[in-house]
Amino acid sequence: MPEMPELNPVIHGKLRLALLSLLSGVDEAEFTWLREKTGATDGNLGAQLMKLEEAGYVAMKKRFVLRKPQTLYRMTEKGRAALSEYVDALRQLLGAGIGG
Amino acid sequence: MNADNLELTERLKLIESMLAEGRRRQEGWGWTFVLWGVAYYIAFFWSWLGRFAYAWPMTMLAAAVLTGLVFRRRRGRNPETTMGRAIGSIWTAMGVSMFIVLCAMGFSGRFFNGHAMIAVFAGMVGLANAACSMTLRWKAQFFCALLWWAAAVVVCYCSDAVLLPVFLVAVFFGQIVFGGVMMIAEMRRRKQSGAVNA
Repeated sequence: MPEMPELNPVIHGKLRLALLSLLSGVDEAEFTWLREKTGATDGNLGAQLMKLEEAGYVAMKKRFVLRKPQTLYRMTEKGRAALSEYVDALRQLLGAGIGG
Repeated sequence: MNADNLELTERLKLIESMLAEGRRRQEGWGWTFVLWGVAYYIAFFWSWLGRFAYAWPMTMLAAAVLTGLVFRRRRGRNPETTMGRAIGSIWTAMGVSMFIVLCAMGFSGRFFNGHAMIAVFAGMVGLANAACSMTLRWKAQFFCALLWWAAAVVVCYCSDAVLLPVFLVAVFFGQIVFGGVMMIAEMRRRKQSGAVNA
């Protein structure tokens, strides 16, 4: 029997998964845009983004636009690879589940 | 399907929906169609009053500046995507081409009649809409391109009496109605989007 893949626990959290999926489709995104798309609270969003940053899956930078601070996030190569592996594992698990 | 599989399927759906959200193609662009539609009306009526040489360049410049200012304000809110850059490039290139060609023809006095001007104009707008629709694989915008191309052909053959109505109808449906429908769809989509909890 083939070994079942394990799902990456950092990505498996619903909000973190949503954030990585969102960031995979854009060059970089502002904190407020991510909040708008996920509907999460500031505190929760900040905490989940920090976990992704600690794992090296996203990179953060701050800048000022018209004297207003902006926090931008982008997905790293490590994050992209992790999300891709996670999707593959998910498909494998689902395939096995449906088949078995 | 057991509970575990159901949860995994939910995760997969979440990824797909967020990917689609991130790559949302024409988000917030409906207003540009309406704005340019109104600008075309202003320019056309202005030139109809006899200020042909200045009406188009000045109105188009004003619309371009206004579009640029609004985009600048919104840039912080909407992230940049490769698709967004591609679509932006198509419209910018079309705008610059149209500006150069129509200005040169207008100022040189070699614009022999309004039919030729509208045919060139409609052909270029049709080109930009078609290029966008192919990039986005969006059928509705291709119909918009067909409408502009049809207008380009019709104005070559129609009489002077129907030239203005043909142009106004093309602008109304190709810009104002199309842009309005996009704006309504964008509003609906914004209302439907729910929260994702950790």
